[in-house]
Amino acid sequence: MIHNFKYALKTLFKNKMLIFWTFAFPIILGTFFKMAFSNIEKNEKLDIIDIAIVENENFNQNFAFKETFKVLSDKESEDRLFNTVYVTEKEAKNLLDEDKIIGYLILEDEPKVVVKTSGIDETILKYVTEEITQTEETMRNVAEYEFRQEIEKNPVEASNLNSIYASVYQKVIEMTKEGSTNIENISSANLSYTMIEYYTLIAMACLYGGILGMVSVNQNLANMSSNGKRVAVSPTSKGKLIFSSVLASYITQIIGVALLFLYTILILKVDYGENLLLIILLALVGCLAGLSLGIVIACVFKTNDNAKTGIVIAVTMVGCFLSGMMGITMKYIVDKNIPIINKLNPASMITDGFYSLYYYDTLDRYYFNIASLFIFSLVMIGISIFSLRRQQYDSI
Amino acid sequence: MEREGGRKLKNVIEVKNLTKEYKTLKAVDDLSFEVYEGEILGLLGPNGSGKTTTINSILSLLKFSHGSIKIFGKEMRPNAYDIKRDIGVVFQDVAVFDELTVYDNIDYFCGLYIHEKSTRVKYIDDAIDLVGLNDFKKFYPKQLSGGLLRRLNIACGIAHKPKLIFLDEPTVAVDPQSRNNILDGIKKLRDGGATIVYTTHYMEEVEILCDRVIIIDKGKIIASGTTDELKELAKIEEKVSVEVMELDHKYIEELKALKNVDEVLYMNHILLVTYKKGKNNLVELMDYLKKESIKYNKIYSERPTLNDVFLELTGKELRD
Repeated sequence: MIHNFKYALKTLFKNKMLIFWTFAFPIILGTFFKMAFSNIEKNEKLDIIDIAIVENENFNQNFAFKETFKVLSDKESEDRLFNTVYVTEKEAKNLLDEDKIIGYLILEDEPKVVVKTSGIDETILKYVTEEITQTEETMRNVAEYEFRQEIEKNPVEASNLNSIYASVYQKVIEMTKEGSTNIENISSANLSYTMIEYYTLIAMACLYGGILGMVSVNQNLANMSSNGKRVAVSPTSKGKLIFSSVLASYITQIIGVALLFLYTILILKVDYGENLLLIILLALVGCLAGLSLGIVIACVFKTNDNAKTGIVIAVTMVGCFLSGMMGITMKYIVDKNIPIINKLNPASMITDGFYSLYYYDTLDRYYFNIASLFIFSLVMIGISIFSLRRQQYDSI
Repeated sequence: MEREGGRKLKNVIEVKNLTKEYKTLKAVDDLSFEVYEGEILGLLGPNGSGKTTTINSILSLLKFSHGSIKIFGKEMRPNAYDIKRDIGVVFQDVAVFDELTVYDNIDYFCGLYIHEKSTRVKYIDDAIDLVGLNDFKKFYPKQLSGGLLRRLNIACGIAHKPKLIFLDEPTVAVDPQSRNNILDGIKKLRDGGATIVYTTHYMEEVEILCDRVIIIDKGKIIASGTTDELKELAKIEEKVSVEVMELDHKYIEELKALKNVDEVLYMNHILLVTYKKGKNNLVELMDYLKKESIKYNKIYSERPTLNDVFLELTGKELRD
């Protein structure tokens, strides 16, 4: 097995086509992003988004929304994100029709964002609204929990409940203020177009490992390559050969992704923030998903290496496109209209995992994406093993 | 089967009633044969006759419809690693890694059989010597000519010194120098004790190399035996070709009446006379041409070839 592993590694590293797609292409694309988007990044921070908020009773009673939009629309703040006008619903509609605002927020039973088109500004408004909704939900849960704790600690008469509620309310207010600050950071600083592109770039690099997995498996299948026939008549088990080849592919891919990280951090000066370890963990699991995707393509499609490479690249590019590589609005459109696609799309799982590190205070959504990628990989590997169990072929 | 001395030969391969069907097509049709220890058995047949399918079935790469296959007295199965350890295969398609050097390619494939490095190093050197690639050890496959690539293909298949070797058309599209080198190498392998199954549609190679020949057509064995035994099946014993620029039709009729003559043809300035039996046929023909003052440029005599046998048995040429 070590013998095969050694030569599988050697073969992969000397294959110019593989090295280009897994090592060079993501780095070239990263450089291109840096050149193309650095100006957009600067301009983006200066752009203030014109929005309207329907000032109804729900809004006036909702502390979280009211305070957050006040902070994000503060004319004195350097991180100001919105230019907000508070109007009636009818006025908001008129302003939107006249293109004086990109959208408006109305708090009914649920917060509702009304926009005319899909763009980066509209997406920001949507994400900020979602973030506040989630924070508000968290606050409500905490308040309820704190309230119960207080009651359990100090059983009181019903008449005293109001004073307990008041103290809990104070705690929640404190949390709200922290929450507002959090939203401000996300919206103005971290929701960077270039960063989103880097996330999808990493997702793409992870999934391109599929080419490595595909080639490794093909080289060991008698019905797929001449070398596979030669290997199949040797006294070495197919399982061991494929495992060692796939392991070599995984290591090669990890080296490729590590180079991409080093290049983006050291040369392109990309700041991945404090979550670098979590990003690396996500990339490792993403690599596994990419590898397993390539293996399943090798097993299922009965065609030559070049055609299969084309399939892996096409699947990866479409996946990255749907997850926002060529424009973040695509992710929003897919999430809104056909959410199942991005739930099954490994590129989307990877990029969503990266977003979640910034959008959410908890790691629940991050770990959900990690688990999704694991499940995706297991399903792919399961299909591959089922297909690879065959030891003889009907035709070769 | 027994040798001349009466000693019984040991079966290395025993194929019984092998049938391989693809939907409506029978690629191999009830094939039964044995391969004996130390011999070179030629599987001769035109393209698409079922030679490669037979080999792939014997090697357990292909599922076959009926029949049984034993190698070294044991039933052959996909995971019969004890049997596979002693088998070497050189496939028709070149099977090497473009990213590895000549030496590394041989080392990789040999390493699937031989784990001990010191033994492997010696075996690799022997294989490189055998196929004459000493000057190309550090070359990559893309730097090799077609003939050298074929030699590398052979080295990769036999470096582990197998007892049984399958060579599936190893000389397709190679230059004469490489072909001679390959054929010499195969003889050396046989002399070293290996049993060889050699498939080809080049009858000259079979005549040079093989101890026994099985002729296959449309998945069936149509004849088998030594080359001399097979040539007995041809109804002619001698063919004489004469290059004549002009020939009157009356001479053809006269030639047909000569002793032992089976058939006379004149096409494209070549007069072809075939004889049923023959001694001194060439001399007698030359005398006739001299007597009739027929001028000719070249004249040569041939014994019947396996192609003539194949033509006799199937009505078509081997390379059709």
